[in-house]
Amino acid sequence: MRATKSLTLATGLAIAIGGAATSEELTISAWGGFFEETLAAEIYPGFTAETGITVNSIAQPEDSTWMTQLMAAARAKQAPADLSLVVDEVLFRGKEVGLWAKLDPANMPGTTALKDGYVKLDDDGKSYAVGALAFYTTFVTNTDFAPEAPASWAELWEDKWDRKLGIVTTPNSGLLEVTAKTFFGGYDVMETREGLERVIAKIAELKPQVSLWYRDEGQFQQSLEAGELNAGLYYHDVAMLSIWDGKPIASTFPAEGGIVSDAYWVVPRDSENIEAAEKFLSYMSRPEVQAQMARTMGVFPIVPRESMDLTDEEFSAVGSEIEPIRVQTHIHLREGDWLETKYQEMIAQ
Amino acid sequence: MTARPAYGAFCIGLFAFSALAVFFVVPLFFMVVVSFYKPDPMGFYKVTFVWENYQKFFASFYYKVSLRSLYSSALGAVLVVALAFPTAIAVSNLSRKWQLFWVILLLSLMCLSEVIIGFAWLIILSESAGIPRLLEFLGLWTNPRSLSPSFWAMMIGLVFLGFSVVTLMIYPQAAKRDRSIEEAAVTLGTPPSRVFTKVLVPSFRPTLISVTLTMFVYLLGVFVMPTMLGRPKDWTMTVIISDKALGDANLPLGAALAVVMLVVTAITLAVALLAERHGQR
Repeated sequence: MRATKSLTLATGLAIAIGGAATSEELTISAWGGFFEETLAAEIYPGFTAETGITVNSIAQPEDSTWMTQLMAAARAKQAPADLSLVVDEVLFRGKEVGLWAKLDPANMPGTTALKDGYVKLDDDGKSYAVGALAFYTTFVTNTDFAPEAPASWAELWEDKWDRKLGIVTTPNSGLLEVTAKTFFGGYDVMETREGLERVIAKIAELKPQVSLWYRDEGQFQQSLEAGELNAGLYYHDVAMLSIWDGKPIASTFPAEGGIVSDAYWVVPRDSENIEAAEKFLSYMSRPEVQAQMARTMGVFPIVPRESMDLTDEEFSAVGSEIEPIRVQTHIHLREGDWLETKYQEMIAQ
Repeated sequence: MTARPAYGAFCIGLFAFSALAVFFVVPLFFMVVVSFYKPDPMGFYKVTFVWENYQKFFASFYYKVSLRSLYSSALGAVLVVALAFPTAIAVSNLSRKWQLFWVILLLSLMCLSEVIIGFAWLIILSESAGIPRLLEFLGLWTNPRSLSPSFWAMMIGLVFLGFSVVTLMIYPQAAKRDRSIEEAAVTLGTPPSRVFTKVLVPSFRPTLISVTLTMFVYLLGVFVMPTMLGRPKDWTMTVIISDKALGDANLPLGAALAVVMLVVTAITLAVALLAERHGQR
């Protein structure tokens, strides 16, 4: 019984591996949950219908964990996925150690539609990443508690949240940049360690108000909807879904701007489906696909607005005209461990 | 006749030892090696020999976190055993049918994953659906607040996690114990209410100590309860290590912290066992 079971399992595995090698199939990973599910249900079918390339969609864990897994896989000369959705910090770190395959921009004509800078090029003119989408983090509130939308990020520091704030635990959430722009006149203060310490000390003033330092989005969203939390930092796209669902939540772009982050598609070095991946990237960069992602996923498009047919209402649902706050990735990469330890120390002490 | 079983036992022992060597000692060895590599913020790590990962342990707040971990695991272990031991005794005094019922119940509790238990307690302690709301309904609490995250929420999670394991560890011995000793104690004038402390606790002493130490080590490694139910200032070393190794992709620092924790745990256990032996003399 046991022997036959493992035998069938082994054959099944062999067929699966053999199958992946021969047919035109792309394994594409994206952040597990809403992102991965919506991409698989709404976006990939159009690509398959047009090219005949089937997509096997898989969920990937949180960025740094995924980065660790990609590195371990690369050492074993394997690619856990042919394409993967990553934030810029992972993109640059992976680039540094040669994790990504080289792509030919000539094979991806669709990418010319993207705004400047979203096709990342090597010195030799090859591309190692293509922009996928942008997403906002905003000031979210429970409208049962706070019916009026906050006007400025500074309100986060006001003494009115009834000790019910929810804040992300990681230093790259954008809160450092929010604090720098709101209280220190810009990102310059973050260039030195003394400056960063001042910004962190300002964030520490939030501590008496914060009841949840979260790493798990689900926990935050559930608590905010239930009124266990009154406000916090959260992703605009998923907040919008809750709002459309009738939950008492508001997602606000304060005067200083929402926090914008870019996500890129990368192809792990050992993928064998480079050609199909290039076709996919070309497809995903089209204005109509970018508009479709804005409508179904609530993410911010990375093609010029005039190239899309989004209505004003649709556009304002996914973003804002206010100059956004940008996570200063170069500082996070440079200060890496020092910054993470200082930040964690501030939270956990 | 005697040679064959001994030979068989030797073979099994050799197999177990080699499995232990391959699946435990070798990864441990790699962990120690990696803990001396230099973390590379842009990549992964560089293969050189540095002490900086260990220096960070003492230069930063990590040593405070490790003391905190030792404290919460030790307290958790003592609480678990303090609750589980009377339960095991009580269960063993029931009729066969009810004993079976309790054993099956405790076994099924062990099937629940840590995450499920954590979420369940999160709801039970929440102000919108749990105990605080119930107290408000009963008029005992006017402005109810969520009881988690807090130190005691985490402690409840830890105790819940260990309770069924420890009860089932003690139960077989409790069921087989020689009850005539308790009867003799009562006959000789010990009040029945004091039999538990005067007779049962001393006769189970070695078991209780070894179970407490086992629980202590087990609770040191729990990850979900501190993150879900604890405040950041309750986070244990396990949380920090996984943050470093996975979250920040700083494997060398994570490995160094794990090695330090391993050494600290070994010393703590050794001291506890020595003290126990000393106490027996």
